[in-house]
Amino acid sequence: MKALFLKDMRYRQARVVLTTLGITMLISLILLLGGIMNGMRIQAQQYVNSTGADIWISAEGSGGAFIGFSLLEEELMAFLGSSPGLVENSASPLIFAQARPTVNGKPTKAMVVGYTLGNLGGPKQVVEGRMFTPRKYMDYRPEDHVPYEVIVDEKMGLEIGEKITISKDEVRVVGKAKSLMFVLDTPLLFMDIRAAQRVLLENTPYINMMVAKTDSKYTPDEVAANLDAFGAIEARTLEHTLSDIMEYWVDQPMKAVQFLRVMLWLVAGLLVGMITYVTMLEKTQEIGVLKAIGASNSYVMTLLLKQVALISVIGVGIGFCLSYIFAAAAPIFVKINLVESVIVACISLIVCCGSGYLAARKGIKVDPMIAFRGEIDSTPIRNVDMPTTNVALIGN
Amino acid sequence: MAAIVEGIGLTKRFGIGDAAVTAIDSVDIRIEERELVMIVGDSGCGKTTLISLLGCILTPDAGELRIDGDMIDPINHDLSSVRRDKIGFVFQMFHLLPYLTALENVMVAMDIAKTKEAEAEKRAIELLTRVGLSERLHHRPAQLSGGEKQRVSFTRALANRPKIIFADEPTANLDSRQSDNLMDLIEELRQEHQTTIAIVTHHEGLRENADRIIHLKDGRIISA
Ligand SMILES: Nc1ncnc2c1ncn2[C@@H]1O[C@H](COP(=O)(O)OP(=O)(O)OP(=O)(O)O)[C@@H](O)[C@H]1O
Ligand SMILES: [Mg+2]
Repeated sequence: MKALFLKDMRYRQARVVLTTLGITMLISLILLLGGIMNGMRIQAQQYVNSTGADIWISAEGSGGAFIGFSLLEEELMAFLGSSPGLVENSASPLIFAQARPTVNGKPTKAMVVGYTLGNLGGPKQVVEGRMFTPRKYMDYRPEDHVPYEVIVDEKMGLEIGEKITISKDEVRVVGKAKSLMFVLDTPLLFMDIRAAQRVLLENTPYINMMVAKTDSKYTPDEVAANLDAFGAIEARTLEHTLSDIMEYWVDQPMKAVQFLRVMLWLVAGLLVGMITYVTMLEKTQEIGVLKAIGASNSYVMTLLLKQVALISVIGVGIGFCLSYIFAAAAPIFVKINLVESVIVACISLIVCCGSGYLAARKGIKVDPMIAFRGEIDSTPIRNVDMPTTNVALIGN
Repeated sequence: MAAIVEGIGLTKRFGIGDAAVTAIDSVDIRIEERELVMIVGDSGCGKTTLISLLGCILTPDAGELRIDGDMIDPINHDLSSVRRDKIGFVFQMFHLLPYLTALENVMVAMDIAKTKEAEAEKRAIELLTRVGLSERLHHRPAQLSGGEKQRVSFTRALANRPKIIFADEPTANLDSRQSDNLMDLIEELRQEHQTTIAIVTHHEGLRENADRIIHLKDGRIISA
């Protein structure tokens, strides 16, 4: 009978629905966590990629741009200007620092990016308002009083003309840039490098990193290796920088989350296995009767597995859809990767069906004798010496 | 007449050492085609064990068993296939699947034997109608009386046209009117379907229907 397993499931409706619901929630959580990590990866890369720079230079011992503390003297720029392998005038200084600006009296998180207008490191245009007023002199002069103007991320909800406080200084919003949030929805605040030096570095000629573009005659690897040989700095290619960022900003801190995901998988598997097992214990008598009237092990197995498979497929399916709804409703940037989540869903399906199978395999070892005796030791025989058990339990 | 079931020296022990019980002790038994046999004896004498051995649910510790002429080898034989092809069972506690209707409970037996669904349904309806349950086809076991349940159970046992039906105290949970009805029905069906039937019973009143009565005592046949 095609629908035999469905009839059985309908008879145990509440359990079936609850199990499915449990799988649904677990799977959607697993996928959501994946989406959160994926979102972090995307955000970790987008600023770096947007600059167009393919060489990233930080202070010796910093472990790379965006990783350890990196403070460089701006004079090192001169050294870059004379280095071979870089596009002429492409080298530019950069300040990239965490700040705690006060917006409308409330402290918020943000990254201050100080760069040179027209050079690598910041937006080329604004989506609203205007660019900040650039400094008069390219080289550092303490008297160069650049106005405190900032371009904010469009997602920050600030209006042109509004003032925000960074450290002790008030800076004015003059434009809005296309959103390039950093990891965990941290907005970027762009300003002239001199303004950044004044609000964050007490007006000293230091920078955090330098960026440049390589000449097409050389590969970035060659150029980076060449620059890196110079003692005071660490030079990395774009690729290397991105993988560093990923490792340092996403993978390391999210290790616990990865672990949690694996645990959730285990829980999902356990849930299906447990429910299947409990169902099976309850069905011992039925299974025994089916076997007594001639059902083979594979007949009983198929009956059980169809139920496990259906519950798993529906649970995983709904969980999959739900994860997208959760992602949309999440208070942080979540981007579920379709391919990844399809793979994860498939693995989850295998985990659920697999543990259901293991439980079912135990369940079908019922002695058909139970049909005559009404009750029988439902634990399969382990020790033949046990006097109360059937010695010759037959397997089929 | 040909023997449907033939057991020689059948022995079944439970447990080991001091706790060992020889439930069936070197029993020779033969049940002929179309016979209606009653198996009687005191509680614990081994009746259930005997029909479980003959019905290929238990494997003997010693002895040989032939069903419908074939020697049963419990090691190499798929006993479930013997059960589904040659044997029908009726249990004291009915053992119908609670989530299926009367009709479906009969169809399951045929499903196990891989009968096509349409054909199974047709035959199940015919059989159930024959046993007077045409009005109860779509009732669940919980909605049926004990007598009705046992009739469904008997129909299920008949469904795959078995060579022999074993019934273990089929009337134990029925009142005397219901048991009489069931026995009359069994007698009629045996004639119609030319089936061999072995019934374990305590009911003295049922014995008059039997072709032969097998007395068991302490795991041995004392008269047959
Ligand atoms: N699994 C078992 N382990 C140990 N002893 C058993 C087991 N099954 C049956 N026995 C013993 O075997 C003997 C025969 O049991 P069986 O059930 O065949 O008797 P019976 O004639 O059907 O009794 P009743 O009329 O009460 O149903 C009994 O002494 C019983 O205690
Ligand atoms: Mg008995």
